[in-house]
Amino acid sequence: MKHGPVAARPRVGVVKFASCDGCQLTLLDLEDELLSVVEHFDIIDFPEATSARSPGPYDILFVEGSVSEPAHLERIVELRRRSRFLVTIGACATAGGIQALRNWGDHDAFRASVYANPEFIHSLATSTPIAEHVPVDAELRGCPIDPDQLVELLTALNTGRRPQLRDEAVCMECKRRGVVCVMVSGGIPCLGQVTQTGCGAICPRFGRGCYGCFGPRERANAAGLSRHLQLAGDRPREEVGRLFAGFTAYSEPFRSMVTELGGARQAGRESGVEAAPTGGSDARH
Amino acid sequence: MHGTETRKGADERLYEVGELTRVEGEGSLRLRVRDGKVTEARLGIFETPRYFEQIVVGRTPDEVIDIVARICGICPVAYQMSAVHAFEDLFGVAIDPAVRALRRLLYCGEWIESHALHIYLLHAPDFLGYESAIAMAADHRQTVAKALLMKKAGNHLIKIIGGRPIHPVSVRVGGFSRVPRRRELEEHRPALAEGLELAKETVRFAASLAMPAFAREPRVVSLRHPGEYPYNDGRIVSSDGIDLAPSGWRDAFEEFQVEESNALHARARDGKGVYLLGPAARVVLASEQLHPVARELLAGTGMAETIRTNIYASIVARAVELVHAYAEALDIIDGYRPPAEPAVAWTSRPGVAAWATEAPRGLLFHRYEVDERGRIASAQIVPPTAQNQAAIERDLVVAAPNVLDLPHAEATIRLEQMIRSYDPCISCATHFLDLRIEEAG
Amino acid sequence: MVMASPARGPRARPEGPAFLGRADLQALLDLLREDGRTLIGPTLDAGAIVYDEITGVEDLPRGWADEQGPGRYRIHDRQDDRLFGYVVGPTSWKKWTFPSLVPLTSATRDGHKVGFEPVPLDPPRLAFLGVRACELAALGVQDRVLTAGPFVDPDYAARRANVLVVAVQCTTAATTCFCTSMGTGPEVESGHDLALTELDGGFLVDAGSPAGRAILERLPLRPATAVEQYGAAATVAAVRAGIGDPVPAAGLHDRLLAQLDSPRWLEIAERCILCGNCTLACPTCFCTSTTQATDLSGTTAMMSRTWDSCFSPGFAKVAGGSFRSRHRDRYRQWLTHKFATWWDQFGESGCTGCGRCVTWCPVGIDVREELNAIAPARPPAAETALVEPAAPSPTEFVTAHVTGTKAETGDTVTLTLESDHPALGRGGPGQFAMVELPGFPPLPISISRYLPGGLELTIRGAGAATRALGKLQAKDEIGLRGPLGSSWPLDRAIGRDLVIVTGGIGLAPLRPLIQAIIAERRRYGDVRLYYGARTPADLLYRGELERWKSASIEVALTVDRAGPEWLGPVGVVTNLFDQATWDGSGMVAFVCGPERMMQATVSTLAGRGIPASRIYVTLERHMECGIGLCGHCQMGKYFICRDGPVFSMAQLGDIFGREGI
Repeated sequence: MKHGPVAARPRVGVVKFASCDGCQLTLLDLEDELLSVVEHFDIIDFPEATSARSPGPYDILFVEGSVSEPAHLERIVELRRRSRFLVTIGACATAGGIQALRNWGDHDAFRASVYANPEFIHSLATSTPIAEHVPVDAELRGCPIDPDQLVELLTALNTGRRPQLRDEAVCMECKRRGVVCVMVSGGIPCLGQVTQTGCGAICPRFGRGCYGCFGPRERANAAGLSRHLQLAGDRPREEVGRLFAGFTAYSEPFRSMVTELGGARQAGRESGVEAAPTGGSDARH
Repeated sequence: MHGTETRKGADERLYEVGELTRVEGEGSLRLRVRDGKVTEARLGIFETPRYFEQIVVGRTPDEVIDIVARICGICPVAYQMSAVHAFEDLFGVAIDPAVRALRRLLYCGEWIESHALHIYLLHAPDFLGYESAIAMAADHRQTVAKALLMKKAGNHLIKIIGGRPIHPVSVRVGGFSRVPRRRELEEHRPALAEGLELAKETVRFAASLAMPAFAREPRVVSLRHPGEYPYNDGRIVSSDGIDLAPSGWRDAFEEFQVEESNALHARARDGKGVYLLGPAARVVLASEQLHPVARELLAGTGMAETIRTNIYASIVARAVELVHAYAEALDIIDGYRPPAEPAVAWTSRPGVAAWATEAPRGLLFHRYEVDERGRIASAQIVPPTAQNQAAIERDLVVAAPNVLDLPHAEATIRLEQMIRSYDPCISCATHFLDLRIEEAG
Repeated sequence: MVMASPARGPRARPEGPAFLGRADLQALLDLLREDGRTLIGPTLDAGAIVYDEITGVEDLPRGWADEQGPGRYRIHDRQDDRLFGYVVGPTSWKKWTFPSLVPLTSATRDGHKVGFEPVPLDPPRLAFLGVRACELAALGVQDRVLTAGPFVDPDYAARRANVLVVAVQCTTAATTCFCTSMGTGPEVESGHDLALTELDGGFLVDAGSPAGRAILERLPLRPATAVEQYGAAATVAAVRAGIGDPVPAAGLHDRLLAQLDSPRWLEIAERCILCGNCTLACPTCFCTSTTQATDLSGTTAMMSRTWDSCFSPGFAKVAGGSFRSRHRDRYRQWLTHKFATWWDQFGESGCTGCGRCVTWCPVGIDVREELNAIAPARPPAAETALVEPAAPSPTEFVTAHVTGTKAETGDTVTLTLESDHPALGRGGPGQFAMVELPGFPPLPISISRYLPGGLELTIRGAGAATRALGKLQAKDEIGLRGPLGSSWPLDRAIGRDLVIVTGGIGLAPLRPLIQAIIAERRRYGDVRLYYGARTPADLLYRGELERWKSASIEVALTVDRAGPEWLGPVGVVTNLFDQATWDGSGMVAFVCGPERMMQATVSTLAGRGIPASRIYVTLERHMECGIGLCGHCQMGKYFICRDGPVFSMAQLGDIFGREGI
């Protein structure tokens, strides 16, 4: 992180690659802080919100979305050149997103499955995070990102300090808030132990297991968790694999778990599964 | 790059915007007029496909609910609702009435957030001559602050029920993973009551805006329900006689490939013409079910007929629905008693799960084939913007004569303003794999 | 037994233990609230019994009990009316005495100048209802850490001083409790203002402080009867007996600190997710960090204190990196601090035996098991304790009769045996039986299959006794003692790929392992069997080998000497896999055969990346009794019959293959 504030009133751009828009929307959803943000930051390019356009150069560029088609490859390099400080926001930009599940499949088969002229489909075989293509200065994880973390990052950029983005398990946040562990008391599989916190432990607070949308944390012992879920929970490998095959599936070590256990439709083979029909009940037992 | 003028030969004009702004997603505009006749009208969509209909294959219904929310950051609830009702219909799950009410309440939250966002942040700048709401705030700070307040009330409502406003986490087949306590909703009631007053002002504000001239006879489609304004349930009806169960979209409509373009459009099978979805369609077809407060305001504007024929007036329809959503939310909260269980147990059945609900932008249809293991075998998702695309291009043609006399830059802005009247959600429209990507120029 | 403290001065109360009727409990709660205290007590939430604000008896979890185990917590109906019929849940009292987020200081920065304004202390007046003995001890531990040293935490001190403690005697225990071992319970003895013991119909009441006595004087009490006193004493004694003494706490400090290089830390690291749940559920853990919340301009900031954990990645970080980045080091830090170095710092154990870290570890790591494994009070026992063997005494044997015989090879026979003794058919794969034919010396023979009501033994005729066994026919009887010894730890292999390497008769003790794998095939990954014999005719269980292949077991065979009909590999068994492409780092290996063959195999497997803690061998020594009393089978610190015959290479270390050990 560079020392000192980025600029007096930094020139900010917000751009989009392959994504749903939710992370940019989080900026517009700052509501109470939005008008204050635009006083401290000069938003020069944000197509979703303003018709005023600018090709840069940017002091800070927020990038949402994954690299997913040929035109993106050049575009991200060009944008990196024109940005002093590049921040990726959201699971698509930081991990490739849910659409990265196609990376395990046969891309040509996907394209050709419906379309008579697949050559008109301009997409790459893979959906990849921005950091696989250009150096990234900071990232905000999440699907979508957390508004408090966004404000924290903006504050840090404005004041020249390091943003306080904790890299610890969601479990810590659950315990601080007094949320009862859904895995221990409900037998519900939860990725929170291997997922980076930042969301405020939403899913366990709402009675369901974490699905890892903030991505794997440092030293995530996904293999240990996987063994435990199979052993104590008596779950088939493929079910545990599907748990990891979510919004940040392409980040390690989730990626290796999906490859090893199944869970994303892999090229050439059906996810081989046992027969019992799915069902569900959220009633506590 | 904004609106370019290119004169080629006698009287040919090209109105082009390489990257539309203040719309959700990535689209372009291209209108070519030669000797007063339109030779090309194109809403180009150059979003990258993300292959959602393929990604959900092999997953379970609850996983699908989480995944399809990511088709859109502005309307994730709509995707979750269409999916969950489709599965519950196939599996024969009877949800608790309190759960049904909570789902409507969740949808109210999304309509409030989406409509407030669109009216003030995306569309109003066009009417008032600003390039953005941020620029508008310099002169109209109070207005923008109030818009943000309204949007916040809608977002917070989704947060109470779903955990977070974008990609909520608690929707499950059979109900919710957690339901709010009465107290949590009651604590939010004052903000919603304040929002209702601001929404009423919004109707007056929208009705006072100068509407560009525009007229056509539209064919409109939406859900309609005898007892409520259409959100999760109702029959699919049109202004000219279509009447289907919410699962029966394919009986009257289909997706097809436009020749010389690889964009998928949707059309009615009867070939009777392009159709329009969204707030204007709902206000035309279902105004009887509007909350009395909203119905009264609509009547007060005297603009019911304008809403029907002038697409620019959709902002008024949206404002009326904003009032409705607040009013209905307050009613639901006042009558809320938490269900005995947040969700009921269910077992999957093989077959076809299909359902349509009303996203803020219009009818959203989902169809899933479920196999014996309870996994998705195939998926079809038809968002409102994909269905409106043909209508947008038709309206570009209708709008052309009205802009020919204007200075070029202003004409282009007027055309963009028309496209924005549809509140297009382009990320939604391009989630499936077989869409042609058009690069402008 | 809770005894009333001796009275001081005039008292209108009965002498001796007092009794509060059940209907009068609300009166106590009302009294506390009238004194301006907010009541915190147990209540139901989200499928657990947690501590939260309550107003009356109706908020208590009447008729609920809990059931706890490593990584597991459930509540269920007790079918009675008890208000306190459970033990501790996920929340501890530190939520109020040491909250997870406390604003400390507001700071400002204006040009050159800075300013600091401590947040004023304004702790609420609270009453804790339902504090257990282990929790009283935990409050005492944090008192010592946070207020008894040279620097005092003012926020903690202020909050603590504003708490009135109403303790509740445990009348039941969870399987995770170990207060007995830590010397903190189950008896409530001190640290309380009031203590209640729940009986049918009401509570024995005791005051532990002047404040408590003052409250007692305002309650409608009567003397407790002898029956009531006896009943309470008996209940508490039963709780103590039920818990037993799970952790060898005496001398634990020294034993633990002598094991900083134990291979067990690495084994734990494979399971531990570093999630931090144990530290945040623990009522004595006190590590925190400060966070800064600023406005966008950064000129005003609020510094707050928040719970942190030694498991967090940033916990030990400095400019150059982290002092404690390895997985195993973080778990070691926590365990050694809690159970050893806490003594050096604070003169007592940091653990009070409440068991929360066991229950709320999502992957079920049990500190008691780990302490017993790393720093046991006695030499290590067999890795897996199984069913009580039949005839576990030097003088006894049970009889079994032959129901079938099969000649496997020229000199090897499999006997199928049935017996009335149920234990014989219910052992683990890799165990052995002592076999006795009167007149011949007793022999240890690996059990090559388990059956309902019996077992199979595969016996190679190498001497007079084994040849005699090989000649037995149906209806002949023999004597057996067993199943004995340790077995192949199959649960270590769940979710992993396996390698099984064996030669000659060594396949016999591995056959029940393979059968157990096939019975639940999908729980294991790739399974590869490498099996060598002297000649093709010496291969055992040839028909079954084909069935194993069709159960997705990869089978590779080799022989030392081939005949014309043999088309497979020839050579030592290690040739089959020393050039294989698999990466052993995640695998488990099971090896059985002549000792030379096992040494070569272990060395090759280690070279392929399989860690020593996951390579298992089975050893053979001269055995006479099979139950560790005759001394013949001693090897280093182990008795092969009792601590083995299955060992991991991590257990054996360099005594394996060492001459003369």
